[in-house]
Amino acid sequence: MKNRFRTALALAAAGALALTGCSDPGTGTESNGPVDWPAQDADLAGTTLTIWAAQNSNTVPESVIAGFEELTGAEVEVVTIPDPYEQGVQTKVATGDKPDLAFWQPTASQLTALNASQNLQPLDDAPWLDAYRPELRDITGTLDGTRYAALITTPAVQGVYYNKEVFAEHGITETPTDWDSFIQLARDLKAEGVTPFHEMAADRWGTQWWVQVQLADAAADGLWDRVNANEEQFTDETVQGAIETYQGLIEEGLFNEDIKTATFEDQGAALLAGDAAMVMQVNSFFGQLQSLADTAELDQKIGFFPISPSGNVGTFIPDQSNALVAFKTGDADREAAARQLLSYWLGDGYEDFVAAQSTVSLQTGVETPADVPQALLAVSDSLADSVGSMQALAIANPDLYIYLADMIQGTKTPAEVAEATQAQFEELAKAQGAEGF
Amino acid sequence: MLPKGTARRRSDHPLWFLIPALVILVVFFFVPTVFNFVYAFTDWSSFKSAINFAGVDNFTSLFSNGTLLNSLKVTLVYAVLVAFFQNAFGLGLALLLERDTMVNRAVRVAFFIPVIMSALAVGYIFQALLKPDGALNGILGAVFGTSVSIPWLGSTTWTIVVVAVVHAWKWMGLSMLIYLAGLKTINEDVLEAARLDGANRWTMFRAIRFPLLAPAVTFNVATALLGSMNGFDIVQATTEGGPGGTTELLNIFIFRTFGQGLFAQATTMSLVLFLTVTILAFPVIRFLRKREDVL
Repeated sequence: MKNRFRTALALAAAGALALTGCSDPGTGTESNGPVDWPAQDADLAGTTLTIWAAQNSNTVPESVIAGFEELTGAEVEVVTIPDPYEQGVQTKVATGDKPDLAFWQPTASQLTALNASQNLQPLDDAPWLDAYRPELRDITGTLDGTRYAALITTPAVQGVYYNKEVFAEHGITETPTDWDSFIQLARDLKAEGVTPFHEMAADRWGTQWWVQVQLADAAADGLWDRVNANEEQFTDETVQGAIETYQGLIEEGLFNEDIKTATFEDQGAALLAGDAAMVMQVNSFFGQLQSLADTAELDQKIGFFPISPSGNVGTFIPDQSNALVAFKTGDADREAAARQLLSYWLGDGYEDFVAAQSTVSLQTGVETPADVPQALLAVSDSLADSVGSMQALAIANPDLYIYLADMIQGTKTPAEVAEATQAQFEELAKAQGAEGF
Repeated sequence: MLPKGTARRRSDHPLWFLIPALVILVVFFFVPTVFNFVYAFTDWSSFKSAINFAGVDNFTSLFSNGTLLNSLKVTLVYAVLVAFFQNAFGLGLALLLERDTMVNRAVRVAFFIPVIMSALAVGYIFQALLKPDGALNGILGAVFGTSVSIPWLGSTTWTIVVVAVVHAWKWMGLSMLIYLAGLKTINEDVLEAARLDGANRWTMFRAIRFPLLAPAVTFNVATALLGSMNGFDIVQATTEGGPGGTTELLNIFIFRTFGQGLFAQATTMSLVLFLTVTILAFPVIRFLRKREDVL
């Protein structure tokens, strides 16, 4: 009996091994070459399209979907993928589950993470491209020369949100014009008893902006190309120096006292109340402020200026709510319908969309609604001459923010932050098969 | 020649009756474990569709990078703390609620409720309670008449203890139940004899009742220790591995690595966790079983 039992087990083991044939179910269908773009109002009765969205973007397409369903008879379903959104989507795609469209960060690193050439439809000759404001047309959304993402709203810019009332109270009439005057301003404010900066190390993710804005000049000079080719490392002077400067500012006492435990919510409340004068943040921070105050109050209180070592150059970082990608699902009709929805979104539906979202228009032919807050207009204006962030230009996106938060908590030195970031970057680059790693 | 009884049993229960259970075991437990071994030696990632054999590459790069060893250390510390607190709380509750009164029955139910609650919900509730401006500091402030803002989840030294207590709080009801069952099995005659010999309550507990609880201790310590090595949800909801990576359990690290698209590395780590739990399980259970020899 024992022997038969063993045989059964051995058979089961063999069966299990046979199942273990190494193939990735996320492999996409190969269909390259030019595609046709259906008219925006082509009839789609009976077609159902699925859009994946995150918790903070799942209501964004509402007006577009209503208009598109009315016009074409298609049915569009928005499926919310729980946070952390990017991980959820990557895991699903890796196991072969794909929507027709998804919100996605249109950067090289995140398009690589989706294995764009296999899984995504190229959008190179899309009909809406010429409608974009010329300086925004090619700002992001491409990987290896192919366009995969359709930008729908202005990408976020890393820069300084400041409390206008605090500035006025201390007689500051001009915003800083470069890094040195920016830091000098902070020191002056501190001397007058104001907390110059607010940082939220408990929620971690905002910590990286301080390092990235310091890299703006280097980024314009090809820093990320060199990092991508492994010719320059995070541990070299440029990046590690920026990390050291950041820690120096914290040690100097220019930040809020509760920096270790403060959260994203605390940050918004602190700037609005004038408890801190400035916050280095991105657009989603303004969204947080909008949940705390109305446009009139925000226009009165909150301003924005970009900052870089030698001037006022912003660092842009598109996020998941700024763009959509269309998947190769293997069903030609649905793929065409997905392209049609994008044409409508950035075509006849765009004016309604911009109005419904109260957001800045990306297109020359569509006016920005009058109720868009001034700070967001300032952000959008800074886009034209901005440079790309690490997320936008590096081939991989290491957890720099976690290591920086560790540094603020005291468990890593700036050198260790740079080492950990470099090690993870190399891991990711190697997994991608990048040259030089 | 088989004894008669066995022969009859065999015709009653032919071996093929095992097949349904075996299929479930193979598909849901055996195959994933085998996959775990296989993928750890490949370069599976979200970046390309081909999966190639990569030898021990993942292992060398993981062990040369300090994060894995740090997470392994954090995981072990966490498991030991959880095992200690969960058993201390569980045993204390069982002794307090031992008598079968109406009140005790109701209170036992109350302490068992956290066990059936969602671990993530527990984590988020405690995260809110333990914030610097959360309810716990509010209560402390009201009691002491000053404003208290202790960052319970913000200490790089003590936060791991706090989250281990939260984990123990969630599961202490289960330990309590098992200790209660253990206490019920102790023979009343033994206790009466001890009482006649003049043993006081502490002596009775130390010399008689605790040694006789050995099987319950084995189960509780082993499940708490080995179960919390697989901890993820409570820590993810309260600290996400922070502050400063001091509560980054191996599973949180795995989750983060998987999210980066490095599927093979994440698999390698889960293999390391699997092996660690296995290596730890044998001596721990062996030691605890040995204690039962007094029975």
